[in-house]
Amino acid sequence: MKRSLCFLRILVLSLLSTLSFAQTVEVKGKVTEEGKSEINGVNVLIKGTTRGTITNDRGEYSIQVQKGATLKFSSIGFIPKEVEVGNSTTIDVSLTPEESTLSEVVVTALGIKKEKKALGYSVTEVKGEELTQARTVNMANSLQGKVAGLNVANTATGPGGSSRIVIRGNGSISGNNQPLIVVDGTPINNDNLGSAGMWGGGDSGDGISSLNPDEVETISVLKGATASALYGSRASNGVILVTTKGGKANKGIGVELSSNYVAENLLLPTYKDYQYEYGMGNNGIKPTTVAEALTSNSWGAKLDGSNTINFDGKSRPYSAYKNNQTDFYRIGSTFTNSVALTGATESITYRLSMNDLNNKAIIPNSGLRRNNFALNVNANLGPKLSIVTNVKYILEKTTNRPRLSDSPGSATYAINAMPTSLPLSALKESQLNDDGSEKVWSDNIYIQNPYVAANNWRQEDKKGRIIGVVEPRFNFTDWLFLRGRLGFDNFNYRNLTITPYGTPFQPRGGMNVGNRNFTETNSELLLGINKKFGDRFGINALFGGNLMKQTYQNSSYGGSNFNIPYFYDISNIDPAARSSSENYIEKRINSVYGSAEFSYNGYLFVTATARNDWFSTLAKGNNSILYPSVGGSFVVSEAFKLPTAINYLKVRASWAQAGGDTDPYNLSLYYGLSGAHLGAPLAQINGDRVPNSNLQPLTSTTSEAGLETRLFNNKLGVDFALYTRKTTNDIVAATISNTSGYGSALFNVGEIANKGLELLLTYRLASAKDFSWDASFNMGYNKSEVVSLYGNLTTLQVDENRTRIAYIHQVVGLPYSQVKGFTYKKDASGNVVYDSQGYPLQGNLVNFGTGVAPTTLGFTNSFRYKGIGLSFLIDGKFGGVIYSGTNAYANRRGLLKSTLEGRETGIVGKGVNEKGEPNTVKVPAQQYYERLFNIADPFVYSADFLKLRQVIIDYTIPTRVFGKSPFKGASISLVGRNLAILMKKTPNIDPESTYNNSNAQGLELAGVPPTRTVGVNLNLKF
Amino acid sequence: MLRKILIVTTLLFTFGACTEDFEKINVNPNTPSSVPLDYLLSGATLHIPGSAGDPGYKSWRANFIYASTVIQQMSSVEVNFYRGTVYTYQGDLSEAYFVNSYPNSIKNLVNLIALAKADAKNVNILSMARILRVVEMANITDLYGDVPYKEAGLGYLNGVFSPKYDAQKDIYADLLKELEEAGKAFSATAYIPKTADFVYAGDLEKWKRGANSLMLRLAMRMQKVDAAGAQAWAKKAIDGGLMASNDDSFSIKFSNTGAGTNSNANSWNLGAGRGIANGNNIQWASTFIDALKARKDPRLGVISALKNGDKTLAKQRGIPPGTDATTLKTLPETSLDNYSRVAPNMYALENPYFIMTHAEARLLKAEAIERGWATGTAKTEFEAGQSAGVRQLASYGGVIADADVAAYAAANPYSTGSLDDKMNAIHTEMWVITGSVLNHLEGWANWRRTGLPKLTPVNYPGNETNGQIPRRLRYPQGEPGINPNIQEAITRQGPDLFMTRIWWDKQ
Repeated sequence: MKRSLCFLRILVLSLLSTLSFAQTVEVKGKVTEEGKSEINGVNVLIKGTTRGTITNDRGEYSIQVQKGATLKFSSIGFIPKEVEVGNSTTIDVSLTPEESTLSEVVVTALGIKKEKKALGYSVTEVKGEELTQARTVNMANSLQGKVAGLNVANTATGPGGSSRIVIRGNGSISGNNQPLIVVDGTPINNDNLGSAGMWGGGDSGDGISSLNPDEVETISVLKGATASALYGSRASNGVILVTTKGGKANKGIGVELSSNYVAENLLLPTYKDYQYEYGMGNNGIKPTTVAEALTSNSWGAKLDGSNTINFDGKSRPYSAYKNNQTDFYRIGSTFTNSVALTGATESITYRLSMNDLNNKAIIPNSGLRRNNFALNVNANLGPKLSIVTNVKYILEKTTNRPRLSDSPGSATYAINAMPTSLPLSALKESQLNDDGSEKVWSDNIYIQNPYVAANNWRQEDKKGRIIGVVEPRFNFTDWLFLRGRLGFDNFNYRNLTITPYGTPFQPRGGMNVGNRNFTETNSELLLGINKKFGDRFGINALFGGNLMKQTYQNSSYGGSNFNIPYFYDISNIDPAARSSSENYIEKRINSVYGSAEFSYNGYLFVTATARNDWFSTLAKGNNSILYPSVGGSFVVSEAFKLPTAINYLKVRASWAQAGGDTDPYNLSLYYGLSGAHLGAPLAQINGDRVPNSNLQPLTSTTSEAGLETRLFNNKLGVDFALYTRKTTNDIVAATISNTSGYGSALFNVGEIANKGLELLLTYRLASAKDFSWDASFNMGYNKSEVVSLYGNLTTLQVDENRTRIAYIHQVVGLPYSQVKGFTYKKDASGNVVYDSQGYPLQGNLVNFGTGVAPTTLGFTNSFRYKGIGLSFLIDGKFGGVIYSGTNAYANRRGLLKSTLEGRETGIVGKGVNEKGEPNTVKVPAQQYYERLFNIADPFVYSADFLKLRQVIIDYTIPTRVFGKSPFKGASISLVGRNLAILMKKTPNIDPESTYNNSNAQGLELAGVPPTRTVGVNLNLKF
Repeated sequence: MLRKILIVTTLLFTFGACTEDFEKINVNPNTPSSVPLDYLLSGATLHIPGSAGDPGYKSWRANFIYASTVIQQMSSVEVNFYRGTVYTYQGDLSEAYFVNSYPNSIKNLVNLIALAKADAKNVNILSMARILRVVEMANITDLYGDVPYKEAGLGYLNGVFSPKYDAQKDIYADLLKELEEAGKAFSATAYIPKTADFVYAGDLEKWKRGANSLMLRLAMRMQKVDAAGAQAWAKKAIDGGLMASNDDSFSIKFSNTGAGTNSNANSWNLGAGRGIANGNNIQWASTFIDALKARKDPRLGVISALKNGDKTLAKQRGIPPGTDATTLKTLPETSLDNYSRVAPNMYALENPYFIMTHAEARLLKAEAIERGWATGTAKTEFEAGQSAGVRQLASYGGVIADADVAAYAAANPYSTGSLDDKMNAIHTEMWVITGSVLNHLEGWANWRRTGLPKLTPVNYPGNETNGQIPRRLRYPQGEPGINPNIQEAITRQGPDLFMTRIWWDKQ
């Protein structure tokens, strides 16, 4: 069918050519890549007409054309070429691939394509295919290690969770620090829809996690405020511009199929630093009753294999069960299939794509299903008017997102807490009591049986999302255009959680249903001028305005206490214990902006921009702010004759300001109505945050200077940037003492500074005809400092671990996100001080270091031999620390190897007593180590790591193989991600396992263990 | 062309700057900016027993896990969770009352006081709020010692984000002054909230007697450190008129709708919400059960039951304090099911949450008379308090026959011996009463002041008190990081440990 369609089209085309142009000659030829391999599918168009043809599998074409006409040869990935038809009837053409050209074009702010050489700032582009081979469910994680200075942290939640992307450091203490995500010109909501905190919870994903990497043409990372000055307040942390694939002029309808299957399993299958010598119990005693066996402690006797009673009254060998982790988690998988149709008519190009992703997470009963649909139509409605329309629909369903951090409902917490001698099979065997309620297996009713957590607890969410852009453009002349743009992002998110009936700490269970409807519209009008004056001077200017409106319509209902056991519906909730709420939130930003770029002779460029934002969230008088920016670039290699070793040299510099506002309704105090009691309505102050009516917009100022060069026949490429970024008047929701009545207060707080450098080195080590080797190394280093806080405040708490021993603070004079915790009490000479009973005393709160790694790096090597390619990426982060709640609890429960010392003999802590004499008091091991829980030191680790992030082996089947078959291309690849941790310093846990993507980075507890994924990727084009 | 550019640019600026409706947009349509004061009185009152989110949060941790177990009214073999039994520390348990009260009850009461002050017609609401604030602040300072008081809860009103820690001495002085002023200010001619008043349903005379009784409690508490002050305030309280019947007992009323909001916090924990009584998690201590048995206390049949609901007196048995799952095996009875726990009638959701009973007021008056601070007959007051305490269990569905009340009084007569003996009689009654109405917080405070009845501490491995009964709870661990003022309190009061005595707790 496909073939006949194509055939028909060629026939029609040929007919048309034959009929309408009688006085023609037949021109034939071959199109090659720089004289080497043939290129099929090249568009051959007679300039000034809509007639043309396409090269065949051997790169050959033939066309009827009038003498003197010009043929235009174009193909994606190559520089178009025009050839005038002379006397010769054979025209062979050699096209040059785009990458090696100097006039690289990148997508910049507002979707304007610019020559890279004109930019006064750093932009990095990532191609779509880099995201689709070794793919991740959340494509943001695929960016890790690929862009200098881009710090991507994924949360320890498995698929479907959010990521944290930070460009050039964190600028705000409690505000948003992630870049603005813009898809085909419209900003999309990237809010985290729910995250784990100190008291547990799960990560409900964010906006970028829903996008389909198969649809992505390119991702432009606009670093720093300069690049994004035109987006104003929302882009003070940079912009990630996602441009999706559009239609292509094809021979008929082009079809692309791709299938990807990956399986994942535990990267760290056993706890290497758990002890396997002592079993469950307390005080060195092996349990002999059920009451004694009800414990999550492993302070029992030495393992002897004897039959020992467990929590369920059954006896099992008192032995080490090392496979508890692997026995619980299953092999996860993700199967992705996508199909795309592309095509073109004379005035329309289009692309329609569909994608199905089916994920099974490693936690039983947990997974995600995502369907993405996209339609992209570009229509020319006459010589001056064109309309681009992009519509995406995303349907995402997630089942049982893992619960993290604190124990309730968390399978991972329970697995981490299981005593050495309790086999997982026991928990599988004895999940429920006779009445169907959960059987408690430890002395803490908040720790679930992991199987009950996975099978009986329920969490389901469903998100339907539409992202649409309509973009009419009217060209007044060839240098003046008016462009409108209506961008629309809407999602409807429904979340159901059920705490089952018979849960030990909530005997009658409970449920909650939350609905969230978010809509953002952006209406933009833009006037653009692009004019050359004479040969040398040029001006490229824009004036525009935008109205942004954001609304949330949230509602929820639920309650606790089901009447009929195990029947889960709101109608079964005790009527008195039902609650419901409704929430409408609206925010607007009005903006006007302009940009002007002046160029001289194609090598000197100066660009200035200005944007004014008006915010609805700030009080009148404080709600308007103007951000200017200026930048320039100078292409030295075009202005002067340089030594031949230097193929290209450009220097650039820029300065910009951007700003930000706050959330709606933060300016005054509100009351919450909370039902009634004994006939009297109840009310209380709403919220836990002190409002502030005097808030002002924050300002972020960035300066950058950089250099790009290509040397030695374009073999070595260097892109280097230095930047400083300063945030003043940051709007902060700071933790305050709750004795004030509130947990946090909003201030305009002092200043945060970030300084850093970014380096990208590319080197083509070999480039023979059949063999090539490219290496690329990127790194970013960001030094942050909290310069000043509110008034004479020197430290601000922003988060706390469930252990309540470790915190995240912002501390004046220190880098962002300090992990702070209690240390040992020490005397003047540094000896640990013990109390009179021989236990170590808790000392002061100290800063252990930043939870945000200042150094990130990525190293890629790609080899290609004929059709076979091999590439691998190693990435790493350095300089950050992490506090592990998992290890702190494992220590308290006697699970760590480090708790073996002194089990038989007791422990005399090394140090002094409060009188300064050497400590000589011997204490039992269990109580000694339990007391260590109150001290953070032993559980703060360097979070440095190096990982073998991805390996791809791909094979592109040569075109000639297909012969006359309908296939035009096929490739197959074997892909692996997170294959190995080459270096880490955190026992038992992954150094990348923070439990949320908030600003407080550096706290870990009971995350989903890291996995390695391996799979196969298949692409077919016909 | 230039004109077109100009027009478009002008248009753009016009719409960009058009922000008139921004102020309206930034008003939350789902939460009011002001509400009737009655609503706030109701809301704030319920925050004293517990917060709406988890009604049992602070009651569980402070009242049961620590207070009830350290004074051996209750016990638990789950020594790693019910840590008061063995005097070990766990931050989130120790700090619960502190971190839950300030942002809930205290904040809303402080705000209500500020709003009610603005208009004289709200004087009764104002007085109720002031008294309720005294109740809550007394609970907090009795648990922790020096705590934020004057600057507490003023984050919004005065912009105080790091409140100063007041010395308990100063807190007590102001609490007493507040009780006096608030009690006197009640006005029968001003607006009187009735349904919104969950304590006395708008009965101002009861409020006055309640305020005076609380005044007597606080006065007696500080007698070791300020005898003259204690005497003066006790006299004021007694002259003003104390609670006269069990109807006057200061309690917050609840209902049995099943909703957390409407439920007694203690009941929520023991029963419907958390099920810790029948879950064998916390049970009566042998010290308590044995004492009731020895005293032939008819309350035993009301408060105590085995897991199967059996209330047979002879079968009641308490867990010896300090018993863990291992030592349980060495006892004659090894099944927790056969140990007594709080009987289900005690945790009906609609049970009142007691702050102070009439019985306590009478017993404290007896003490005041013995100390020569008040006139009257101590024996009469003692007997009135003793029988009122027994009869108070009617609030838990345990109506005790007059004959049984009389028999109990006969078996436990007022001492005719030394002052110490009399104090032992009075405060043993206090210990039983606070235990039987589940007000362990008060039980612990009264025990710390009097040391009565004599309790034998346990010495469990790893305890933080060197085998002594704790004298206070520790501050929140996060507080030093966010409120440097805590250092001043630690310097003044002593290290932040269980054994550091608070101001009124003089040896």
